[in-house]
Amino acid sequence: MNRFIRTAVVAAATLSSSFAMAADKLVVGFAQVGAESAWRTANSKSIKDEAEKRGIELKFVDAQQKQENQIKAIRSFIAQRVNVIVLAPVVEAGFEPVLREAKRAHIPVILSDRRAKVSDESLYATFIGADFVEEGRRAAKFLAEKTGGKSTIAELEGTPGSAPANDRKKGFDEIIAKYPDMKVIMSQTGDFTRAKGKEVMEAFLKSPDAGKITALYAHNDDMALGAIQAIEAAGKKPGVDITIVSIDGVKSAFEAMAEGKLNCTVECNPLIGPQLFDLVEKVAAGQEVPKRVDVQEGVFTQEQAKDALPNRQY
Amino acid sequence: MSIALSQPRVARRLPLPSRQTLPLWITLGVCLLMYVAAGLRYDNFFTPQVAVNLIGDNAFLGVTALGLTFVILAGGIDLSIGSAIGCTSVFIAAMIENHGWSAPLAIGVALLGGTIIGIVQGLLIAFFELQPFLVTLGGLFLYRGIGLLVSRESISLDNPMYVWLSGVEWHVRDGVDIPLAAMIFVVLLLLCVYVARWRPAGRAVYAVGGNEQSALLMGLPVRRVKIGVYAFSGFCAALAGVTATIYMSSGAALTGAGLELDAIAAVVIGGTLLSGGVGGPLGTLLGVLIFGIIQTAISFEGTLSSWWARIVVGLLLLAFILLQTLLQPRETHS
Amino acid sequence: MSTGVAIPEAGTAAASAAPKPNSAGRLRALGPLLWPALALAALLLFNLAFTPGFYKIQSIDGRLYGSLIDILNRGAPTLLLSLGMTLVIATGGIDLSVGAVMALAGATAACLIARPEDSPLSVINVHGLLPLIVFGGMAMALLAGLWNGVLVAVFRLQPIVATLILMVAGRGAAQLLTNGQIPTFDHPGFNFIGSGSLLMLPMPFVVGVIAFVIMLGLVRGSALGLFIEAVGNNRVASRIAGVNATGVRLACYVVSALLAGLAGLIVTADIKAADVNNTGLYMELDAILAVAIGGTSLAGGRFYLVGSAIGALVIQTLTTTILARGVAPEATLVAKAVIIVALCLLQSPPFRALFVRRRAA
Repeated sequence: MNRFIRTAVVAAATLSSSFAMAADKLVVGFAQVGAESAWRTANSKSIKDEAEKRGIELKFVDAQQKQENQIKAIRSFIAQRVNVIVLAPVVEAGFEPVLREAKRAHIPVILSDRRAKVSDESLYATFIGADFVEEGRRAAKFLAEKTGGKSTIAELEGTPGSAPANDRKKGFDEIIAKYPDMKVIMSQTGDFTRAKGKEVMEAFLKSPDAGKITALYAHNDDMALGAIQAIEAAGKKPGVDITIVSIDGVKSAFEAMAEGKLNCTVECNPLIGPQLFDLVEKVAAGQEVPKRVDVQEGVFTQEQAKDALPNRQY
Repeated sequence: MSIALSQPRVARRLPLPSRQTLPLWITLGVCLLMYVAAGLRYDNFFTPQVAVNLIGDNAFLGVTALGLTFVILAGGIDLSIGSAIGCTSVFIAAMIENHGWSAPLAIGVALLGGTIIGIVQGLLIAFFELQPFLVTLGGLFLYRGIGLLVSRESISLDNPMYVWLSGVEWHVRDGVDIPLAAMIFVVLLLLCVYVARWRPAGRAVYAVGGNEQSALLMGLPVRRVKIGVYAFSGFCAALAGVTATIYMSSGAALTGAGLELDAIAAVVIGGTLLSGGVGGPLGTLLGVLIFGIIQTAISFEGTLSSWWARIVVGLLLLAFILLQTLLQPRETHS
Repeated sequence: MSTGVAIPEAGTAAASAAPKPNSAGRLRALGPLLWPALALAALLLFNLAFTPGFYKIQSIDGRLYGSLIDILNRGAPTLLLSLGMTLVIATGGIDLSVGAVMALAGATAACLIARPEDSPLSVINVHGLLPLIVFGGMAMALLAGLWNGVLVAVFRLQPIVATLILMVAGRGAAQLLTNGQIPTFDHPGFNFIGSGSLLMLPMPFVVGVIAFVIMLGLVRGSALGLFIEAVGNNRVASRIAGVNATGVRLACYVVSALLAGLAGLIVTADIKAADVNNTGLYMELDAILAVAIGGTSLAGGRFYLVGSAIGALVIQTLTTTILARGVAPEATLVAKAVIIVALCLLQSPPFRALFVRRRAA
């Protein structure tokens, strides 16, 4: 059977190679994390739209949040001989072998949105994404200002092991350390989802220390929105009894701020399409690019929410 | 073809009628059909590297599915295999990186552990007559819980031996590299085919799956066979976990979550009946290849959004299974 | 269910040749429900002893609030799923797609309310009418149930594989409906299903109880229950006896999907959003576990709805206990594993034979 397949493969390969044309268009392979949140979907849409605008052929693969699928996708991009590979790694560790393969095949790799942990920095051309650590710091700075440097904080963490969760925690803790009266007394993962955020907040509010909570730090808006519901069900007022700060800047967060239930959201901009493809074109042409490109983003508070709401695209 | 050549011998030794191999032929036919269709549609699909990738990328699905094949042939089922992969991979990574174990030791203990848990499951099923579905469901929860308790996050393997291992491959020629994972899969496949066809142990499995009462009356050690298949399945799942650590140079507890369902689908597509007694490892190979072709085709297509990809996979599976059911000779299932 | 069940408490009764109909008979009839009930009692007792505040129930805004209430509230979806799963398992099959059906129903309802752009459902305008919204979600669930039922009952596909297909494609279809977004909404009527309360009890629990009562009536009050058990026990014999096996199996998958749809509506109403990727994820495993705990055999035949209900409560109590004690949620998984094996062992005749000495008849 193996012999039969090999003969067929060789025959077909000779046939297909005679049909292959030199590609004029750039072919880019993009291995996306999944479609697990509105942020991610906006991210994918921005990238697809931009590729279409520039006439770049985009091979888009959604890994449904599984690392094995991303690795398979990259290897198939290598087999398809794309010009550039863009990867948004679902977790940090485990991509080194496949990135080495890409390097051997002389296909440059750009990391998008999240970093991958590699021992050899030359395995990727550049990283474009948000500075999650800075986002954590901004959240902490807002909270410190709003509560006058005094608060007992409950924390809803993101998916364990993911770059955003790790870094947003790190940045937050870094700033909090400077304020002796600010302490995180409970912290659990809400997996970046609304339902889990609500469930975990409910548990927090039933714990013996529930009465002490004066602030909530959620690694993303979805979890905060779930938590807001839990707080209301417990008879407290979100945004008033408990100061809430979260990250992402999705439309629902702005709506919640306009209603006075959320105090602040730190923007994490998913619309990186234009910036990304600028880099793609430069890398494909062999030009030098900075090792790290930050995406522009801001901080939005309740006061700004009502005005900013109509402009929010995601 | 090896199947046709050995048929007379098979008919003499095994009590299986030749029409039992019909599903395998049908599966092979559809597999080739899909491969050719994809190749005609996409450039570069017929390259040898893509063919090698089909084996290498799906190696741990393949290794797991091979272990599962024998369990299903014996009339049982094993749901714990997917989570076992994650648990063994994170265990190995944690032991090597955090506790300084040497790679061979960690791998050895992991393989042993998987086999032992497999034996325990087999014991519960064979001696206490518990439902395989439930016992292995318990195994699934156990593996997942232990894996997550060991570490929630993925652990990178920087151990020099592992770095070397993940680079091991057979460089056939430019652009064609066969990774270690693929080689492990192929070796295991050959072993399974050999045992299934030519060893008494393999025939005993078919007998037990075909009709347990008859097998018992024939004097076959039914309980030992059952324990044996679960032990083998546990071993294969652990081996797949080892393969995963090599493939990704890291260990993560959630690797392979949900893989058991893909493995069941691959085995069923390959013509092995869930009721037992019919099928074999070659069919499983085809099932795994079909999975791989579907996934590769979707990524070559490159335009399917997340949701369309899922729908397409589901529909293709459905089409395949319907085709298989319609083409098969009508059998009355009790 | 054989009467050879030696329950320790009924020790002396089991020995005597003439079975006393009163205590022994009643306990024996409890037989399969005994162990799940004991498991539940054990968990509750543990909490009584070791978890402060577990039994505290307050009244906030006219509804009860506390850990016990949480169990009833959060356990309702699992309860609904397990009821449907019981019937499917009783016919000798299994339904892996219930989680995906939950997502589908929830997505349909959310899209009908919120009418997001790019959603194929946006063309339908139900003017925010609650009955139409619920109908829409349930109709989608009905379609899913028919799909499964036809594949299994008419095309004779193996249930694991047939429902696996919907499990994979169903979420994809749900994402298609929402166009990958998480549509949010605020519809007071619909929200009530998830977060409202009736008679001080959370609405999801009330829905669960009503569904349970209906199911019990349907199955035990009519011949349907008998037909299901017959089909599961021996399909050929039931066919010869005149039972329409195809129809019965089809009906079971439809019922399972409808209940899953209901659960999906509840969950979606609870968070006021349709999170297609996560709604009902892995809940099919919990549902199957609940059915197993409840004493229904996976091989088909006799089934116990009450047992499955208790099973669902056991699982939810376990989860809530672990959350309440601040233990790592991963421990829930290990605990579930131990419980499955322990309960199965207790219900298995060979295991019990190890402990029960057969007294001379």
